[in-house]
Amino acid sequence: MRRQFSSYAIGALSLAALAFVPAQAADNAAIKEKAAVCSGCHGENGISQTENIPSLAGQPDQFIQWQLVFFRAGSRKNDQMQPIVEEITNEDIRNLGAYFSQLTPPKGPEDSDPDLSKKGAQVSAGRRCASCHTDSFAGTKGVARLAGQREEYLVKTLRDYKAGQRVGGGVAAMADVAYHMSDEEITAVSHYLSHLK
Amino acid sequence: MKFHRSVFQSVLALAAVAFLAGTSAGNAQQQDKNRALKKYESGTKEFWTHPPDDWFLGDETEAQKGLAPPSGPPTGASDAELANIVKKIKLPAGFKIEVYASGVLAARQMAWGDKGTLFVGSFGLGNVYAIKDNNGKKEVKTVLKGLNMPTGLAFKDGALYVIAVDKLIRYDNAEANLDKLGDGKVVYDDMPSYAAHGWKYIAVDKEGWFFLPFGPPFNVGIPPTSVSQIRRVDPKTGNAEIWALGVRNSVGGDVDPRTGKLWFTENARDWISDDLPSDKLNMINRIGEHFGYPYCHQGNLPDDKFAMGHKCSEFTPPVLNLGAHVAPLGMKFYTGNQFPADYKNNILIAEHGSWNRHKYQGARIVRVIVGPDGKNPKQEIFASGWLEGDQGYLGRPNDILLDKDGSILVADDWAGAIYRISYSKK
Repeated sequence: MRRQFSSYAIGALSLAALAFVPAQAADNAAIKEKAAVCSGCHGENGISQTENIPSLAGQPDQFIQWQLVFFRAGSRKNDQMQPIVEEITNEDIRNLGAYFSQLTPPKGPEDSDPDLSKKGAQVSAGRRCASCHTDSFAGTKGVARLAGQREEYLVKTLRDYKAGQRVGGGVAAMADVAYHMSDEEITAVSHYLSHLK
Repeated sequence: MKFHRSVFQSVLALAAVAFLAGTSAGNAQQQDKNRALKKYESGTKEFWTHPPDDWFLGDETEAQKGLAPPSGPPTGASDAELANIVKKIKLPAGFKIEVYASGVLAARQMAWGDKGTLFVGSFGLGNVYAIKDNNGKKEVKTVLKGLNMPTGLAFKDGALYVIAVDKLIRYDNAEANLDKLGDGKVVYDDMPSYAAHGWKYIAVDKEGWFFLPFGPPFNVGIPPTSVSQIRRVDPKTGNAEIWALGVRNSVGGDVDPRTGKLWFTENARDWISDDLPSDKLNMINRIGEHFGYPYCHQGNLPDDKFAMGHKCSEFTPPVLNLGAHVAPLGMKFYTGNQFPADYKNNILIAEHGSWNRHKYQGARIVRVIVGPDGKNPKQEIFASGWLEGDQGYLGRPNDILLDKDGSILVADDWAGAIYRISYSKK
C-alpha cells in the first residue's frame, strides 16, 4: 500500500496547483483510484460496514485532512493506518479530504431504542457537543461529523478519549470532555448520534 | 488573547466556546458576576492530569459569543501559494521577504545548531524538524515525532533541548545524530502535564539557564499553584527558581543583550471585547515581580470579577501595550549588522493574530524601539499582509530568529513555512 501511494505522488504533484479547487481535484480518476485503497476497510463510497471502522463519507474536508496529518506525524496512533499514511504526500491529503467530504454521508438506521436516544440527546445537550460539532452534528472544518457515524465506533472513540489514548490532535478538548463522562452517558450519546438522520 | 491558533489550538478554545454556550444568553455576564468564585482542588494528583472541564469558561460578553479560533490548512501552503503570499507582504523600503523553507507544518520556535542546522518545533503535530542547506536547496527532515506539543526549543553545548509541555528533553550531540536522536534525556519535569496553555518557549540567558513560561489552564481564574509564572531552569542540574508571577499565557521572550534581563510577550485574557484588554510586552527588572494576572490587565484595567480588591498599582506594568488580540509570541532583540543602524537592539515581535475578535488584527511583525530601562517605547509595523478579509489568514508569524548574515527568519505555523527577511542598501 505504501508503494501504491508513492507511485501516485508524481501525479499528485501536477495536481498541486488545483489542490485548492477541491471539486476538480476530487473528480480526478487518480484520486478515486487512490481512495479505493481506503474502501477496503472504510467501505464503498466511504460508508463503513465494518465494526470499529468509521464512515468517512461527508466528514468535513479539513477534519479528514487533519486526521491524515496526525496519523502521518504519529500524534494519532493506529496500527492499521500508520503503514498506509507513512509516505502520503500533502497533495494526497488535500485530495482525499476533498473526495470524502463530497460523498453523501451515511443515514442513521431505524432507531431500535428511542428511550436511549432521548437520554443521549440530554447527555449531548449537557455536554454541549453541538457547540463544536454544530446543531446538525454534521461537523465543520476541523471538527468531525457525528450524525450517522457507526454506534460502536462512537463508543470506542469516546472511550479512547476518556482513557487518554486519543488526544484529538494536541489540545485536549475531547479528552477533557470525555474524561468526565460515565459509561452510561457514553452508551446513550453514541446511540443518539448514530441514529440521527 | 489567546489560546491560539491552528486546529489543535483551536480545539481547546472551541471547548471554551462549548462550555460557554450553555450559559443563558442575555444575563450570562451578570450571573457570572454573582457567582461565587470557583474552588479548585489543586492539591490532588488527578488535578494535574485532568483539570475540571469548566476551567475553559470564558466569562464572555454577549457581543463576543460565538467567536472561535480558525482552523488552518492541515498541510500548510503549497509552494505556489507561498509564492503568492510573499508577494503580498509589506515591508519598509530596502527590505525583502522570500520563502526560506516550505513543508514545515505547524512550525513554531526555531534555534540554530552550531554547525548550521536550523531546528524548528511544532504545535500539535508533535514534530521537531531539522532544516539543512543542501547547495541552496533547503532540506526539511522530521527528526523527532510524537512529542507532546514540542513548541519550544534551544541549542546549547552541542545538545538540542526540546520543551514538550511537562518535559524538558536533552538530545546530546544532536547535529551528528539527526537520523537517530533517540529518546533523549529528561532534564527537568516538575511541570503540570495538561495541554491547556501548557505549550512553552525557551529563552536562554547569559549563564545558560532557560526561562520557561507556565500558563494557567484557562482563560481567566485564580491560578492554581505552580502556574501563571515564569521559571528560570538550569538545564545542567534541573534546579529551578520562580522568576516572575502573575503572568498569563506567555509564549515568547528574549534576554536583553545590554542588560541580561528577560523581556517577554504576554497574551491577555479573552472574551471582554474586541478592543480590551491589550496584549503586553513586559520586562523583568527584579526577580519575583508580579505582572498582574488575573487581578489587573494591561497595567490599568482591574478584572471585573477577579480583581477582588487588588489595585493595578500593586503590579509591574507592561513596558508596552501592543494591542488587543494581536497575540504576540516569539520575539528577538535585533543584534545583527545587516539592517539599518537604528534597528540595533530594537525588539522584533511576531504577532500570531486574533481569533477572539470580530475583525482580526496582528499576523504581522512589529518593531519596538526602546532603551534598556523600558522607558518611552515606540512601536511600528515592520512586516504585514498575512491577514485576509475580516477573519482570514494567509499565514501566521509566531517566531523570529537571526541568521548569521544579519537577516531574520520568521516561522509561520499556518502556512507551514519559514521566511527570510533581509535588507540591502540600494
